[in-house]
Amino acid sequence: MYKMKQSLFSTSSLCYMIFSDSEVPMKGYSTEASLTISSDMQFLPLAMSFTEASAKAFGLEKTDALKLTLACEETFTYICKTSKETRSLVMKATNGLYYVGVQFLFNASDFDPRAFNLTAQVSPDDEQGLDEMGLIIASRSVERLQIFHGSEGVSLVLVKEKSYPPMSKITIPESKTLRDFTVVAPDPGTLKLFAGQIVHYYPDHLYPRDFRFPGKLMDMVASGEYGAAVAVGKEELTGGGVVWFQSSGKMVEVFGPYLFNQPPQSSMAARLINAVIEGLAKTGILFLIVMYATPELPSGYFEPLGAIDIFKKDSPPAAITVYCRQLKEDPGSTVWVHPELEEFLKKEYRRLYFARRMKPTESAGEARPEHSVFAARFVKAQNTVILNTIWDGVDFSDNLDRHIRTLGNEGIPNIFFEIDLAYAWQANLIPLLLRREFIPRLVLPYAGEGDIVLFQHGKGL
Amino acid sequence: MFIVPLDSLVPDYVKTFEAYIPSKPDPELMKLYGCDRLYRLNNNENPLGPPPGAQEIMRRFPPPRAGLYPSGDSYYMRCRLAELYGMDPDQFLFGNGANEVIAFVIKAFCQEGDNIITADKTFAVYEWVATFSGFTAKLIPLKDFGFDDQAMLDAIDERTKILFVCNPNNPTGTYWNEAKLRSFLDTVAGRQIVVIDEAYCEFVEKDDYPDGMKLISEYPNLVVFRTFSKMYGLAGLRIGYLMGSMGVVDVIRRTCVVYSVNTVAQDTALAAIDDIDHIYRTREIVNTEKRYLREELDGLGLETQIGEGCFIMVRLPMSDTLAYRKFMSEGVMIRSMTGFRFPNWIRVSIGRHGAMEAFVEALKKVLSV
Repeated sequence: MYKMKQSLFSTSSLCYMIFSDSEVPMKGYSTEASLTISSDMQFLPLAMSFTEASAKAFGLEKTDALKLTLACEETFTYICKTSKETRSLVMKATNGLYYVGVQFLFNASDFDPRAFNLTAQVSPDDEQGLDEMGLIIASRSVERLQIFHGSEGVSLVLVKEKSYPPMSKITIPESKTLRDFTVVAPDPGTLKLFAGQIVHYYPDHLYPRDFRFPGKLMDMVASGEYGAAVAVGKEELTGGGVVWFQSSGKMVEVFGPYLFNQPPQSSMAARLINAVIEGLAKTGILFLIVMYATPELPSGYFEPLGAIDIFKKDSPPAAITVYCRQLKEDPGSTVWVHPELEEFLKKEYRRLYFARRMKPTESAGEARPEHSVFAARFVKAQNTVILNTIWDGVDFSDNLDRHIRTLGNEGIPNIFFEIDLAYAWQANLIPLLLRREFIPRLVLPYAGEGDIVLFQHGKGL
Repeated sequence: MFIVPLDSLVPDYVKTFEAYIPSKPDPELMKLYGCDRLYRLNNNENPLGPPPGAQEIMRRFPPPRAGLYPSGDSYYMRCRLAELYGMDPDQFLFGNGANEVIAFVIKAFCQEGDNIITADKTFAVYEWVATFSGFTAKLIPLKDFGFDDQAMLDAIDERTKILFVCNPNNPTGTYWNEAKLRSFLDTVAGRQIVVIDEAYCEFVEKDDYPDGMKLISEYPNLVVFRTFSKMYGLAGLRIGYLMGSMGVVDVIRRTCVVYSVNTVAQDTALAAIDDIDHIYRTREIVNTEKRYLREELDGLGLETQIGEGCFIMVRLPMSDTLAYRKFMSEGVMIRSMTGFRFPNWIRVSIGRHGAMEAFVEALKKVLSV
């Protein structure tokens, strides 16, 4: 089975990854259904029936199931029309408990690679109909979409999150100062109340929007993709807590800590963070990331990595400071560096005390493939897309322009681009990004094959 | 070319296990961090190195002997230890460092569904070997930096096979005295194997510190680990051993990899074991430098945990992994303790005075930046 995971930009947020995982997040519910068909339009009704039936079986409401079915219809049609010949295609529906995902997996060795750009048209040579790009249409009906190129072939993944009722107007019990408390994993009732306390005590920019739906938070934790710990006193009162999410095999995003009426000198925040760190210390997780830092984030645990801006439609851009904590001793590494980014990287590595052997690289007129391909992780709710390059190509700048234009037309102001410094050919693209008003914002150590530089398109709205 | 079906070939408990990546060699680290010196204070090595007699054995080692297999079961070493401790040579098993004998014991006694019990914040290899072998490691939180005997006893179930106690504990330096150890062994009452890891026993001078070796005749379920890597300064040669009752060792021998200890290691260990003066000189350095560090760290207002062994722990007002990077840029390598589940603590091995001064100097810079 595969499990979908979001990353860096959080829960409601941007991206997710797919990876093989035999872990069953919660016993007692179906987790996967699959269908093998041909990329032939005759199978479109079957693909749609499969999607709709799976979505309903996995708990999506009728309206949401139909939206997911619509997205799958567009995607299947797109694949059929861009295929030069009929091929075998696997559809996998996954129950993520708080979402249903549908993955299209197929071998694309003879596909025109351009077809897998988010902005590709049904006929890549057709300059007409820019508004009717199948994948963009599909993306409008779901929360997340990813085009993923892996060793198994190409994956197109659509995720529709379940609808949850908002928090009821239950009275949140007033929290008391807890002198003696223990840090524990919350039972479902405590977790639900904890969600209510977060919303009650904290402004909404300090927690993900999902936390406004207690049932959703419960399902997120029950799915095993999220974790939570709370500090409880003798009378089972919750004085605070923390939530985390494994956004990739290497990174965990931490939300909070959230403290309710605890004195400034309380050790609660530090103990909550200690609990998270101790629980992950011997896993493969390399970094903790905090993007929703509360004032209670204990000092001495995290390092400020940098800041990004999040543009919203009806409010000024919000600068978000990203904090991180390394969980392993840094072994040092080698990165490819283009001269135009050398000063930025030297400054960042010096500031963060990361030992990096920097190898210079730049294009020297060597032959490149004709067409570039971008992977995209697209989350409608955050109005954000993160791009990276799967294949280099001489049309990189044009492709980038096309993405910026198309995403702008879709009303998506937050466009990020990742460059993995483990690859010289990716570092060589840096000047082209800089010319297109992409600004280097963060260095994420080991976030890819090597360090990733996160560029943000400067314009926003 | 074949594609290896790793997904079906690899057991789940290996798939989910995270490999330990050792640090790079010193010259590579110095190049990376741009420093012209590197004090390695991360592995609890003896600042004096091997005893002089052992060094001489190494110098005189005839190269042609490298072409021959060593004694497959460290015959002369076992005979010498038996003589020293009044035991039978067959009560000893040698391994390529004490790490290897941990695996011998777990393989000998555990099967699918079994578990071992140890502490959550101790030498990690007991937990690692159990986990990547498919057995559950029940991890009991330390109590006041020490192994919690009662909680360990409470955690025993019908599938518990081995209880590992690191005495003194790495990294906290706490130890069980003889009364506590005896009480623990009495309660276990021979139902499980109890391993006492005495890797740092030669550093302990306390009267109530128990000698596990002497208890084996009374407790046949007791297995004691010792190593030549710490006090005897032979970490680079990888030689350690276990001892226990004849019946128990006879079982462990079945899972023991023979010929894994090389000839140089066996010969030098044989020379090292009788050098009592080396122990006294090492203890003197360790005690002197611990006192120096305690004063300096107290002066900086830092919380410390200083117990037995050739190491100390310091709590920093910053991320220990960030501190590691800062220390490295100053040419000092400490052990960050997040990996031991001690966030924001570091462990510092005791070295010669110059190294300790370098550490203190680097620490002041690390804290001031």
